[in-house]
Amino acid sequence: MNKNYLLPLDEAAYNFGFLDEYAKKEIRRALLKAISIPGYQTPFASREMPMGKGFGTGGLQITLSIIGVGEKLKVIDQGADDSVNAVNLRQFIEMTCPGISGTEDTERASLIQSRHRIPETPLRKDQVLVLQVPYSDPLVVVEPSESKRKTMHGEGDYSRLLTKLYEDIVKYDEITISHRYPTRINGHYVIDPSPIPRFDVPKMHMSNALILFGAGREKKVYAVPPYTDATPLAFDDVPFRIEDFRDENGKRRVCRRCGADNSFLEESINDAAGLKLHQCSDSNYCNRRLSLSGPARIGAEEGGI
Amino acid sequence: MKKILEIRGLSKVHGHKCPLCCDFTGPKHDTNICRHCNSIVAIHDISLDLYEGEILGIMGESGSGKSSIVKTIFFDEIPTDGDALFFDNNEQYSLFTINAARQRWLRNHRFGMVYQSPHLGLNFSISAGGNIAERLLMSDLFHYGDIRKRALELLSRTEVPSERMDQSPGKFSGGMQQRVQIAKALATRPPLLLLDEVTSGLDLSVQARILDLILEIQRDLGTAMIVVTHDLGVVRLLTGRTIVLKNGRIVEHGLTDQVLEDPQDAYTQQLVASAL
Ligand SMILES: [Zn+2]
Ligand SMILES: [Zn+2]
Repeated sequence: MNKNYLLPLDEAAYNFGFLDEYAKKEIRRALLKAISIPGYQTPFASREMPMGKGFGTGGLQITLSIIGVGEKLKVIDQGADDSVNAVNLRQFIEMTCPGISGTEDTERASLIQSRHRIPETPLRKDQVLVLQVPYSDPLVVVEPSESKRKTMHGEGDYSRLLTKLYEDIVKYDEITISHRYPTRINGHYVIDPSPIPRFDVPKMHMSNALILFGAGREKKVYAVPPYTDATPLAFDDVPFRIEDFRDENGKRRVCRRCGADNSFLEESINDAAGLKLHQCSDSNYCNRRLSLSGPARIGAEEGGI
Repeated sequence: MKKILEIRGLSKVHGHKCPLCCDFTGPKHDTNICRHCNSIVAIHDISLDLYEGEILGIMGESGSGKSSIVKTIFFDEIPTDGDALFFDNNEQYSLFTINAARQRWLRNHRFGMVYQSPHLGLNFSISAGGNIAERLLMSDLFHYGDIRKRALELLSRTEVPSERMDQSPGKFSGGMQQRVQIAKALATRPPLLLLDEVTSGLDLSVQARILDLILEIQRDLGTAMIVVTHDLGVVRLLTGRTIVLKNGRIVEHGLTDQVLEDPQDAYTQQLVASAL
């Protein structure tokens, strides 16, 4: 290490957190570029992190490069704050970034790192959402060559992706993509919005919060800046639809815990009775609703069969 | 008649190329390979004009370089030398000097290509209709119902039964695959269609139907075409003018009737005689 680079102790805060300043600068520069060109997959020098790639190292590096003292960090995995992955990530960041605090409360959080979900509680402009991305390029399903994909992105030529949707409708009468729904940002680049369900895609449109995407293995970051157009690919006469969670009788299913009829529901089977049970995937949203209204609906069954 | 394509001095050399390449190759030497540097002179100094609604034949044996001409026009190959002007409505494009994005645009919107091998022109992992949809989706058609309607029209024009529309063309006969290729090439109503040995290897009766179809398209849509073939019969049936190619050079050109009835060049005479 260069001796001249050693900082006086009272300026030690300059070198904050797990990543060194050089790494942070490099990632921030990539993020600025990504924000300037909404939806553009910006390369960055993805570091080795003390966890396997595929465990959110791309998202983690973004978080570590923008986090600061006083930050209130929320980490969710599949909508839950208490899953092993989420807890591991949050603990790692808390341990390496002194002066930040963890929270499960979406409203209190200033920085949210997430896998598979965008919180139900609408985000604000003073919040940043970081999404973990396993595969960064939506065109990879139709074109194996990266240089050809780059040209297609550059020219905004998504005809082959749209052809895939066409084939879907031919085969199944509807577009069957459930996660990673290709979404056009600011009228040009189409992104893979990470494995969020279709339900969450409209939340990116004109979002108050900045949304950042990080793919560690593929060494790419991209962004949906606040108040930016995000339009899922679809046909004029076969519009994009979100999951509607209707039961056999066409009635909107509700959360068995909090009774919410507007949230993304997870389905589980009650082994004993063989019943399908539905509850909010966003655990913080569900808990908050419960604590506000009391556990009136706990144990209430819905659905059937 | 309005000119649609003007090609001047088109050459394509595979290899390092030396100053002697031109002198050491051609019909006179009966070879395409330069004995000095081993480069292959696929075509040399080709000039031709194509007019609206016209079918021009490029005839030659395999190795004559006839496919190289259409491949350079369709941007599948980069020429070593030469110019090509494409006249489209009031626009004029210098094919080999415009940027790659413009070239792709012309390729996707204004040109149609039908290859000898359906594998090159079709994507077998999607349906026949999907192949046409892909080309339509490159333009500004984003209405599923309209896309299906247009794909169905195109397939019925090329005599592909509507019930095959949602099947992969990999399951089709060779003749039907070519008809899907033609439908796909016509999807954007291009003013220029390039056909590279499209009936080779097909049964005679199947060939005849495809040739009829090509004539119908010319009559109904007024599409200008360049037909590359080794088959005198194809040239006679389809084309008004013909270019005869040997070892990458034009050895004879003129009205097809004249070229076939009264060939001037010894090589053409030999070709015509062997076909009789
Ligand atoms: Zn709930
Ligand atoms: Zn040579």
